[in-house]
Amino acid sequence: MSTTGATPEWRSAMIDVSELSLTDLTAATDPAGESVLAHCLRRLADDLAHPGEPIAGFNSAL
Amino acid sequence: MTIPALAHARPHHLSDAALAGLGAGHPDAATIAELRRSQLSRHLLLLHEIAATLRQSPSKQTEHLPQPLADRTSAAPDEPIAALAAAEREAPARVRELLADPLFGVWAVSCLKALREGASPEQAGLTHLATLATAAHIPHQRNHDDRALTATHDGLTISVRLEDRDPLRAHLGLTPAPRLTNEQLRRWREKFTGAWRLLVTAVRPDAEVLAAVLTCIVPVEPDPAARGISATSADAFGAVAISEPADATALAVGLLHEAQHSILNAVQYLFGLLEAPGLTGYSPWRDDPRPASGILHGAYAYLTVTRFWRTQRRDRLAQFEFARWRAAVVAAGEGLRELTPAGARFVGALLDEVRPWLAEPVEPAVLRLAEGANRDHYLRWRLRNLRIEPDDVAALTQAWHAGQPPPQVTPRLQPMARRALEANARLDLTHRFLRGHSLEGLGTDPRPAEGNGAAPEQQRENRTAEHELRRQGRAPGQHTSRSGQAAKVGNGEADVAYVLGERERALRAYRKVGLVGVDWVGLIIAGGFDVAPEVASVLAGVGEPLEIVRWLS
Repeated sequence: MSTTGATPEWRSAMIDVSELSLTDLTAATDPAGESVLAHCLRRLADDLAHPGEPIAGFNSAL
Repeated sequence: MTIPALAHARPHHLSDAALAGLGAGHPDAATIAELRRSQLSRHLLLLHEIAATLRQSPSKQTEHLPQPLADRTSAAPDEPIAALAAAEREAPARVRELLADPLFGVWAVSCLKALREGASPEQAGLTHLATLATAAHIPHQRNHDDRALTATHDGLTISVRLEDRDPLRAHLGLTPAPRLTNEQLRRWREKFTGAWRLLVTAVRPDAEVLAAVLTCIVPVEPDPAARGISATSADAFGAVAISEPADATALAVGLLHEAQHSILNAVQYLFGLLEAPGLTGYSPWRDDPRPASGILHGAYAYLTVTRFWRTQRRDRLAQFEFARWRAAVVAAGEGLRELTPAGARFVGALLDEVRPWLAEPVEPAVLRLAEGANRDHYLRWRLRNLRIEPDDVAALTQAWHAGQPPPQVTPRLQPMARRALEANARLDLTHRFLRGHSLEGLGTDPRPAEGNGAAPEQQRENRTAEHELRRQGRAPGQHTSRSGQAAKVGNGEADVAYVLGERERALRAYRKVGLVGVDWVGLIIAGGFDVAPEVASVLAGVGEPLEIVRWLS
């Protein structure tokens, strides 16, 4: 959490790549694995490795 | 190659008010937009990983193929990605729209996993990207008009895609229904319109959130006798898999519930909320021990479900739902341990939202049944999942015979190997009673816990459980029995007396040893005892049940 600004803010470890073009994004590499992107990708890989079970089976009580 | 734009990419972020608003179930439009943007980022990062995987090991991707095919594939394994990138240069907004689709998320995860496991690009489904590149030239409206579900009420509109064709819909966790007939489509539209009217009228802010989150409904195979099943995938923000609902109310509640799962999944993509998400414990919504992440999901989904029932309190059954779930959400939220700082803020806001509801008046007879239903579930969970060590059983038995106070024992968590959902005749009777139906004739004969003697609604619950187990590739059965400590359900006279509030009659009936043994939980809740049923149950046969419970309390 950052409190240096006017209002407190929660900063994610995940970067916003939503504005990047596919050309740029799919070409980007980081052999050293030290960039923010690499950090994001490691966390994404961890999510994929531990997906948990599907959230399913809700039945309306009524 | 480092891309300058990437080097300067900002982290996704939320203001403190936005995170608290999410926890309380009141996210504003800008917060939902940020979550949606973050999910697009996730899809793009998955695509980046797919491209990287193709670059890293082209030989592994093709080594199992006949040589001519391998040559063709390895020549340009990422050609579909290039095609989509080219389409983006021509129709950037449309390609973004396609990449943001929830089913793109499930495709990307599936494709990446397959590639990493050694599948060829073709086997991993990479050609899907070429299909999207073609679709990029088709305007959105022309593509989906015939399957749009749109409803407007009091100036608020929701529009989603009813997805009954795309093979990717099978990745949402339940078996998809075949393409809908015109009659089925008509029924879906009718219930959707009814649900929307109900939601906008009752919980307009929640309806606004739903309209912003939900983009896709996937009809799934119904359980022949269940009222409805639904599912949400962490890979498909804004998509809900749901069987055709019984009515508009069921659809309204189901959509509120599932949208919460989507929102929480998106929040957890951005921020870890739990230091130990796998730590297991009691969940008011399941009969098996659940990880903390699942308990949080349950509480968050029932936050909006409870808020909905809060608005419907002229109906006694709605009062029951409200009273039951407000307490369950608070108990589940308060029971979460080892929260991260973001998790503490999120769960704190959730609790701040729901705790004041605990003081709101509910008809006393309904409140008794709601509190009893929660206690019933908790005690049955204990009976199912906690075990007493043999040495402790011996010590308890010895103390009983010696006329001494019961020794302290520590139950051990020993959950059953598979998920199970357990029918509950008391809950079934409670629903009947609150609907205003007569219980006359239901209290004469003890009913077996399972099988043909079970009440119709109980049988439906059992079949739903079996459906769920089969869906997970597990064998159904063994709902209740293990080591003689199973929760016994269905003691007709006692259950009816309990539901009607006839305490002494209920106690007299519960103390009898029925066809399926002693209903320890029934005895404990009817008498208002503070006793662990898994402890009482190990003394079955050594004394009279009510005396055992009194001795332990």
